[in-house]
Amino acid sequence: MAKATNNVSLAPARRRRGVSPAQRRQNLYGYLFLTPWLIGFFGLFIGPGLYSFYLSFTKYDVLSAPVFISLKNYTDMFTKDDLFWPSLARTAYFALVSVPLSVIGSMLLAILLNSKLRGITVYRTLFFMPSLVPIVASVVLFKVLLDSSFGLVNQGLRGLGMENPPGWFADSKWAIPSLILMRLWGSLGGTQMIIFLAGLQGIPTELYDAAAIDGANSWQSTRHVTIPLLTPTIFFNTVLGVIGALQTFVAAFVATQGGPAFATWFFALHIWKQAFDYFNMGYAAALAWFFAVIIVALTLVQMRLSRRLVFYYGE
Amino acid sequence: MATTPINQNPIAPGTLPQTTFVNHDDDELRRRQSRRLVGRIVSYVLMTLFGLLFAFPLIWTASSSLQTWQELRSYIPHLLPATPQWINYYQVFTLVPFARWMLNSATIVLINVPGTILTATLTAYAFARFNFFGKGVWFVLMLSTMMIPAIVTFIPQYLLFFNLKMVDTYVPLTIGSWLGGSAFMIFLLRQFIMTIPRDLDEAAIIDGAGPLRILWSVIMPLMKPALTTIAILQFLADWNDFFGPFIYLNTMSKYTAAVGLRTFQVMPLETTDPRDQLLMAGAAIMTIPVLLVFAAAQRYFVSGVVMSGLKL
Repeated sequence: MAKATNNVSLAPARRRRGVSPAQRRQNLYGYLFLTPWLIGFFGLFIGPGLYSFYLSFTKYDVLSAPVFISLKNYTDMFTKDDLFWPSLARTAYFALVSVPLSVIGSMLLAILLNSKLRGITVYRTLFFMPSLVPIVASVVLFKVLLDSSFGLVNQGLRGLGMENPPGWFADSKWAIPSLILMRLWGSLGGTQMIIFLAGLQGIPTELYDAAAIDGANSWQSTRHVTIPLLTPTIFFNTVLGVIGALQTFVAAFVATQGGPAFATWFFALHIWKQAFDYFNMGYAAALAWFFAVIIVALTLVQMRLSRRLVFYYGE
Repeated sequence: MATTPINQNPIAPGTLPQTTFVNHDDDELRRRQSRRLVGRIVSYVLMTLFGLLFAFPLIWTASSSLQTWQELRSYIPHLLPATPQWINYYQVFTLVPFARWMLNSATIVLINVPGTILTATLTAYAFARFNFFGKGVWFVLMLSTMMIPAIVTFIPQYLLFFNLKMVDTYVPLTIGSWLGGSAFMIFLLRQFIMTIPRDLDEAAIIDGAGPLRILWSVIMPLMKPALTTIAILQFLADWNDFFGPFIYLNTMSKYTAAVGLRTFQVMPLETTDPRDQLLMAGAAIMTIPVLLVFAAAQRYFVSGVVMSGLKL
């Protein structure tokens, strides 16, 4: 036993043929422990992914067998689908507004909550709590709170003298801002902020000491120490935030079913409706693949940009 | 291996050259102290203001769930109910099978949490501790699954379970957690295992422990904060999930609380009175378990994320 492990430290000498017993052991245990994940990866991800790629070239309504129609689904989405471009634009609008607000907001909140003031954990818990509220429950809550006639918010606004407060979920102009408001409430103090807190606590204190000796005030040390050193965290939260925001539709579905007048008919909701309301499985698969390509491309662009914008301390 | 602590000041306090502080006279010191006091007050004021803004919707949930619908619809809003209508909570359980739905959600959580803890830990252990052939490729593949929108695989998965006659069962909602769980959780656990010194593994090997023994007796006990974090994340994901149960479950008695609450929002009842207060009570009922679980495990949760050293 002990002898075998001694070989591990010599392992890097890799040969083309004849794997050393130590390496064989590494392979055996590595793959043994990986097995459940591998089964899931192929059975629930790669397999279905390939099948959906095939379906995207077919017409399939579940009841009869798929019919191969080559690229028709892909050409139809660009030319014949009236909801395609608007739903893409709406999704972009939602992501472009909600992601920066939520990333910057939770970063500022984390900076505020990173102090060692007394009772700080009470405040952290307070801000974290909304993120625990199930999305369906928060939709119920916000629909009551933002009801155009009886909602507390509009009653308050009328009390302040506003004659025609927004119709929120009932108004096609305000429906997306309402969803953004709801999302911000549920996400500013949530895991994103915890990840920022973790990032803040990873900043070496001697950098602040050095800044203080140089006479920096708290704004200057935030600007020149905290924020540059948080860029990896900002990057991580932005990438995940974009992926998440582009896929939102549950809130829109539960709150407004895509309405009013398609105002919250996001791209993911469009795919979902095509698949499970109209049973256009082939078309939905094509939409889903197009969507995947967009999301992966956006993520790769962000990774490329990060090389210039993200600062890694100690590298 | 002894690592050099990062946060320790390399200069011991006593050895600091005296001259450093000479130019700070009493005035300067006082000014600095008062500036710090002002900063502290500003922090408290800001945190309290924002805190109230964040807490308000929750307070309003509690308050409105105890009002009558007439109170909720009156032109002068009632911040507090005239008399708390506890009957609202009773009605949620009698008008719809809400207790059943809560139980169903709990069942799914109870199936999934052990599954993720077991299989995500095994996967993370493989990635953190073994140099198997092709490891880098698998790791990148695993991380890249995070990018692919769920809907891409959701449609064919649905067709798969449909053909296997597993629609309207909990299998589609639970199988994933027994096959590794989510990539994010595996990543988090792997990062955490990497922070555990290998010396401990090697000591156990000398004592004759095999890889599984090491995982069970050495690594897992040290992973308590990370595993608690994973358990909470899985619990939240299942308890809050709408998408999966909504598509897979058809029978009302099999619904989860999330799907049930949404059904309650739209289903026809004998009375056409507004049911906002009942929906608020339902929302409160399904939120309370989450808050309780979080309160119980909170100190592990934050340290679990922080200690996993999410160095990105």
